[in-house]
Amino acid sequence: MVALARKSLLHGWRRFLPATLAVAFASLMLLVQSALLLGIFGSASIYIRTSRAQLWVGYPGTQTVELGRPVAASAALRMLLDPDIERVEAFDWLDGDWRAPATRGAVSVFISGIDPRPEGLMFAKALSAELRAALRSPDAVVVDRADLPKLGTAIGETAVINGHTVRVAGVASGLRALGGVNVITSLATARRLSSDKQDTDHSAYYVAALRPGTSADIVAARVAPRSGDARYAVWTADDFATRAASYWFFETGAGAGFVLLGGIIFISGALIAAQSLAAAVAGEIPEYATLRALGVGRGELRKVVLEQACWVAGAGLALAMALMAIVVILARTQDVPVDLNAATAAVCALAVTGIVIISGLVAASTLGRSDPAMLLR
Amino acid sequence: MHSPAIHANAVFRSFVSGQIRRPVLDGLSLDILPGELTLVCGPSGCGKSTLLAVLSGLLRPDAGRVHILGENLWTMDEAAIERFRLRHIGFVFQHFHLFPALRAWEQVALLLGHVGVDRQSAHRLAHETLAAVGLADRVDSLPAELSGGEQQRVAIARAMAKEPDLIFADEPTSALDAASGQVVIDSLHRLARTSGTTVLCVSHDSRLIRHADRVLTIEDGKILSDRRDNAPVGQVDAVT
Repeated sequence: MVALARKSLLHGWRRFLPATLAVAFASLMLLVQSALLLGIFGSASIYIRTSRAQLWVGYPGTQTVELGRPVAASAALRMLLDPDIERVEAFDWLDGDWRAPATRGAVSVFISGIDPRPEGLMFAKALSAELRAALRSPDAVVVDRADLPKLGTAIGETAVINGHTVRVAGVASGLRALGGVNVITSLATARRLSSDKQDTDHSAYYVAALRPGTSADIVAARVAPRSGDARYAVWTADDFATRAASYWFFETGAGAGFVLLGGIIFISGALIAAQSLAAAVAGEIPEYATLRALGVGRGELRKVVLEQACWVAGAGLALAMALMAIVVILARTQDVPVDLNAATAAVCALAVTGIVIISGLVAASTLGRSDPAMLLR
Repeated sequence: MHSPAIHANAVFRSFVSGQIRRPVLDGLSLDILPGELTLVCGPSGCGKSTLLAVLSGLLRPDAGRVHILGENLWTMDEAAIERFRLRHIGFVFQHFHLFPALRAWEQVALLLGHVGVDRQSAHRLAHETLAAVGLADRVDSLPAELSGGEQQRVAIARAMAKEPDLIFADEPTSALDAASGQVVIDSLHRLARTSGTTVLCVSHDSRLIRHADRVLTIEDGKILSDRRDNAPVGQVDAVT
């Protein structure tokens, strides 16, 4: 069979360009929105993703790291006794009020108190050995490079957190937080910055690393408290990261906003693509009418239009992916949190396929105008 | 005497314009014999193109019967009429309506593919049919590379490649210069003569008259005259 759809598309590519650009634009919008959302929500689990800890112990019912409440150090004991647990350390998380010497006013910060030793688990993937060593100095803090302007400070300068002077010992990347600024310091410094300086036998979390080859799920179940009124709970890192992302997605309204915006992009993309594709098909209505006069069924012609829609989708999606790669590179150079995985890209591609099917069906409906009787004067 | 390829009996068709219903075919009856080139003439708006549409299964009449090749055409559903047209009928229109992206042989092979001819045979048949209309050296040309007359011959090849029993041609030479029109007329004439295809042609073009086996003149939705071999056979307004 002669490849009418493909040949017409290539020959009349200018007619199909608006539809292709409409699909590409809708795809890019969906991809960028998804990547930003994943990147921003990923910030909520940054403490989990950048650490080497496989188990987290926190207050029961905690939805996300920022909502942690003090847990007694005795909760870590059970973990220390488990033969498959290699290392346990405390992780303090508290709010702070940052004041730099410059006239920047106050900035809300999230203080992470960690074990800064080289073998420490927290932020193991984000902090170099040099930065960890720097954190061992009293009152030393590390912040994200992109947050320096917001904090009005620079490496080596001092600032005041909760009335206590700290010194910016260094900067890292990939530490940006959702709704505030992450400040990393040692457990000792964090306790000095805390308003409750007497409470040294409580931490927001205890994190643990397992011996190689051990299942986190099995160990988590084993070290979980037995009684229902326990004052702590145990999650695997994956579970806790999912809890955090789900909290931001479903509990904050951001998810509904994402779905709404996605729906608007879908509908507007489908409308524009459908109109553009219908206009492209309308250019050959007399030729299609001739085929109908010669006995070719409307269903056969509809297949041609749908095939063209699929080619338009493929080209639009490829263009969107190429542009998306540029967007991701630009975003990363500017420390904008973006994250795109294969599953999300596949969902976007599926949405675009939906856009194109709708567009193709709308465009195919223009074939209804291909009444062969109109060809007779 | 052959049985007619087309038999139309008391065909009525009108069009509504605003509040006014205007009859275009007014109880017209006729027989078209197989293997003849029949020319339908008449002034603009006399109903000749409407007659072509009704006889070819493109436009349903308000009343009357049309039998083609023994089939009662307008008792079939739309899909059956489409299949009937695909199998038995070819069309040539005033404007050629060739797909700009397809080469001449592909325009022909495209339709053969829909008829069910395999790719290789369609390729061969398309080349043979184009050669039969004098376009052997233009098989790989796009419509934009062909003259109007050549494009119309591609359209004729597209219509005849599937070897239809009938070809309906609507003003096939009106958009062409004299030389191109003559080539197209010769192609249609040869088609009727050599392959026994029934050709019903609607035209203003007086050059077609001497090539026609029969000339029908229509006015006000009725047959005004019916001449065979350029000799008048009488004033007719009934079954011929």
